[in-house]
Amino acid sequence: MTDDATPSWQHLLDLVAQLDSGSYDSASVTYGDVSVQLSRSGPLSAPVPSSASTTPATTSPKPSGTIIASPMIGVFYRCPSPGAPPFVEIGASVEPDTTIGIVEVMKMMNPVSAGVNGTLTSFLVRDHEQVEYGQALAVVAEASSQ
Amino acid sequence: MSEKGNADSEAPPVVLVANRGEIAVRIIAAARRIGASPVLAASAADADSPAARLADRVIVIGPAPVAQSYLRPELIATAALQAGASVVHPGYGFLSEQPELAELLEIEKIAFAGPRPETLRAVGDKSSARKVALAAGVPVAPAVEVDDVETVAGLGDSIGYPLLIKAVFGGGGRGIRLVNDAGELARLAPQAAAEALAAFGNGALYLERFYPAARHVEVQVFGDGEGRAQIFGDRDCSVQRRHQKLIEECPAPGLSVATRAVMHDASRALVQALAYRGAGTVEFLVDTQSEAVVFLEVNARIQVEHPVTEEAYGIDLVAAQLRLALGWDPELPDVPPVPSATVIELRINAEDPENDFRPSPGTISRVRWPGGPGIRVDTQLEDGYRFPPFYDSLMAKLIVRAHSRDAAVAAARSAAATVEIDGVTTTLALHEFVLSHPDFIRGGVTTSWFGPTWEHRSEQRMESVR
Repeated sequence: MTDDATPSWQHLLDLVAQLDSGSYDSASVTYGDVSVQLSRSGPLSAPVPSSASTTPATTSPKPSGTIIASPMIGVFYRCPSPGAPPFVEIGASVEPDTTIGIVEVMKMMNPVSAGVNGTLTSFLVRDHEQVEYGQALAVVAEASSQ
Repeated sequence: MSEKGNADSEAPPVVLVANRGEIAVRIIAAARRIGASPVLAASAADADSPAARLADRVIVIGPAPVAQSYLRPELIATAALQAGASVVHPGYGFLSEQPELAELLEIEKIAFAGPRPETLRAVGDKSSARKVALAAGVPVAPAVEVDDVETVAGLGDSIGYPLLIKAVFGGGGRGIRLVNDAGELARLAPQAAAEALAAFGNGALYLERFYPAARHVEVQVFGDGEGRAQIFGDRDCSVQRRHQKLIEECPAPGLSVATRAVMHDASRALVQALAYRGAGTVEFLVDTQSEAVVFLEVNARIQVEHPVTEEAYGIDLVAAQLRLALGWDPELPDVPPVPSATVIELRINAEDPENDFRPSPGTISRVRWPGGPGIRVDTQLEDGYRFPPFYDSLMAKLIVRAHSRDAAVAAARSAAATVEIDGVTTTLALHEFVLSHPDFIRGGVTTSWFGPTWEHRSEQRMESVR
């Protein structure tokens, strides 16, 4: 056995980080004599909300449709600036690259895209509300499922 | 935060724990001990971890990869704001020594349980830290810059052999050559200069004394941020593999009174010169041939091995960090340079020592720890815990205290033998080997002892299989 055949923890971390940013449902990689299997069906894609948080996402009945999750922790805004009309109204049709709001992190504005074609049916958080990574922000009824 | 000693205002202060694994569990316990409310900033992979369940609240800051979660100062600062935190504890690694987080928190008027940002910068890189140490009168390795590679032999004599040729602008271990005599130096210096010019765009070199047989000894310090320094003894961390510490002990065994005094006095001078705030460690090499002491670096954070010092002196360093950050009295006593007990810590990692320390993440089906006098276990493991592949391999620290070093080695060996971790391969086998080895039992092994000794054992086992 040589050093080259055995990945270090850092090698694995790099590999997993790289895989995680790709789009796949499950992946299996053999690296030297170590094999790594990843799947998105585990708890990673649906972080457990904290017990103490009282977000509408956990208290309201789960709406049907595709959930738009927050890409990061921060504050959610429905409008590009105070007083301006919202990016999208409820009932509006959206495309994958339609901006439905922004999440602000320490003065940095991060647009949130719908990600799918369809009709935006509801928001699950209020304007100006603090959100966490992975928290459900809005629901889209997908065009193909209508 | 300015009201000193105001520990009993109505709402308990919130401590944001900006780390994971065993140190997150440790910080949560310290927050409880001082009557604060712990909130955990976790990645999505850790949102249901044992630490998450111990905290009053969990804030999910990002996905599993550290570059999108634990290493992002702005996400931690946002979580601190959402939590209404009075103080953020960064643990070790991650953002613990990054001035960016400390600065963001300063803007938001949230305390950082660590040194000031300017201190983090001053000790953050080796050349800057060396300057600070020199100015404080701390002994450093003899070193000299090379002006002319053609007349380098005289410089080598002033340092002494063996020595290292290093590139001034090098890094990551590149451009370093070991030289044993003046002839080698004269021959290799021009090569090294040409290589440094090609690799780093600058051929500047310096020579530094090399200590082939040295111990790693470090001093635990605590500063009040205004120039007062407290010293909490020393630790020997010489059992290492590829610069990763495996076993630590307090006090460092077999040091002369004079050598110990040099290290403790130098550390005190450094803390005073920096007006250092909170817990820190000053690391030294102790040459086993000459007993010369040279400064390595300052670790401006709580360290993995802090429990050996806590157990030896009966103190809570993490609680003291939080108290100081909240503007309270850290409640740390003045202690003698050598504690009356010896404490040994074994790092148990998810790695296979029989197979080149190959990583072994997976599900821990069952875990059982020893109990009894002087035994402490710092861990996040529990039955059914899925040890994630995203982070480092530390699973647990087994810490054992006894009245003498011999008793502590025997007690640690006995405790290690009763640990049961089912489901993944761990480094327990190496601990049983080291704790039974005459060199370790004698005490004072060098940092280059473990690697070849373990390899020799592995080769012998291969032979016996054939």
